[in-house]
Amino acid sequence: MAGLFAILKTLARLSWRDLRTLRSITGNNFIVFVLVVMYQQPQSVYFFFMILGVLMIGPLSADPLRKVPPDRLALWPLSPRERTILRFATPFLTPLVWIALPLVFLAGFSVAAALIAIVVALQLGLELHSRFTAGRPPRNAFRFVPAPPGRLGGLVRKNIRQMLSVLDPYLAILLSAGGFAYRMFAHNPDPEATVILSAVVGIAMSTSAQCLFGLDLPQGMVRYRLYPLRGWEILLSKGIAYLAILFVIVAPLAPLPGLGAGLIGLAFGHHTAVLQPLPQTRWRLTGGIIAPAGLVQIVTMTAVAIAIARESPLYLALAIVAYIVSLWFYGRLWDRLSE
Amino acid sequence: MLTGLITPSAGDATVAGFDVRSASQAIKRVAGILPEGLGLFDHLTIEEHLLLSGPIYGLTPAETRFRTDQLLRALGLYETRFTFADQSSHGMRKKTSLALALLHNPRVLFLDEPFEGIDPVTAITIATLLQNIARRGITVFLTSHALSIVDRLADTILVIRQGTIVWQSAAGELPSSLEEHYLTLVEPQKVEQLEWLGCSQS
Repeated sequence: MAGLFAILKTLARLSWRDLRTLRSITGNNFIVFVLVVMYQQPQSVYFFFMILGVLMIGPLSADPLRKVPPDRLALWPLSPRERTILRFATPFLTPLVWIALPLVFLAGFSVAAALIAIVVALQLGLELHSRFTAGRPPRNAFRFVPAPPGRLGGLVRKNIRQMLSVLDPYLAILLSAGGFAYRMFAHNPDPEATVILSAVVGIAMSTSAQCLFGLDLPQGMVRYRLYPLRGWEILLSKGIAYLAILFVIVAPLAPLPGLGAGLIGLAFGHHTAVLQPLPQTRWRLTGGIIAPAGLVQIVTMTAVAIAIARESPLYLALAIVAYIVSLWFYGRLWDRLSE
Repeated sequence: MLTGLITPSAGDATVAGFDVRSASQAIKRVAGILPEGLGLFDHLTIEEHLLLSGPIYGLTPAETRFRTDQLLRALGLYETRFTFADQSSHGMRKKTSLALALLHNPRVLFLDEPFEGIDPVTAITIATLLQNIARRGITVFLTSHALSIVDRLADTILVIRQGTIVWQSAAGELPSSLEEHYLTLVEPQKVEQLEWLGCSQS
């Protein structure tokens, strides 16, 4: 049994480490935005908290036993009884179960039971999926992302896949879907609301603009340095991928204000992306730098989105110019830092 | 430093006639590099790495496709070409990085441990490939601990110990086999006894 306890202890440690990767949330612009809303309009914040809650269920429900490589698990000299105990004990090491247990006292048994039911259902579903697909080559849902034509097409495809491997675009999709539902089904929808929601969608994606190389570290950066590419070309391939994703997400709301916000988010995001590339973890919200980069992004993106909607689409041209200037400046800086 | 991955702090060097300080972009176009960490993107398949790199080096899509297929077959990667880099074995990743180094027909090749983690059949294929391209005038810089292979391949041998060159000569001027000579230059490490091994079962 000593071996079994050692394994359970290690799994608890791995779960705790996994939970700590969620700290990236503290460097995410959207969280800052939610805190500001909470201060000014507390009643509006529930919608955002609900969306964040839905988004975090997946990462918080991960089965700790899946962190052990299957070969290693099979090699450990455990008896069948110990393996059964291990299988039934590990769900209790899932972070969402840790969160659910105090909720028995704080929110009632039914809420806690619902959370635990979600954990069990997700883990069971994943286990069944693994059993059905055992022995087949692993599939990757992003395999079918097409490569745009041109010299940078392959890089753009890779960047789209990377950006879809963090939670930020899914947060933006949920916000956009909520906004679209409001626009379709509310009795008298406020036309300004779609503009504001476009800006909010932009803000939800804005930390990604600071973390353009977060999933390239460290080996992708080596490859970039080996390619005969200029800094602006590398940043452009990132920008095209970012804007393509953002445009699809804001299309049901207010596409031009959303695009303008995205361009400004990138223009300011280049600073952190080039000077301080921050490593990111897959299937987590990205974590960037809040002050000053994130705050500047939030303010300027909101201002540009509103200006495009209320004043003139010419502000979009201003956003494009700002993006091009940033691309040129930080592209040169990239070249200098790489040589 | 010659590959442009480390900035020189002093001195001068040229690669294929280009200065490493002032013409790093030109060097990147003419050099093929297999770096230590392999430099692969987790989010791309083996084949996609090659299809991505061709246009970056100015190859047409048709040329890229043709060379990609040939390299994948030559290096035994064709069957696994749709596997993502982060799901590939070390050997597959190594061969992918080697294919990337060769794809644009470089004038100079820098290969860091090309035989490490490679199966014996592919190692012979790579060795033959390197001999052929060296005969065609491509300079090959090879760093390797697979001394028996280096012994057969290299024209010039250079042994570095703790950052200092301790031997440099033509391959034919070695007093013994490279492996034996290497061990005289670099003292073997003392083996720990690990007395508990084999003494009792636990």
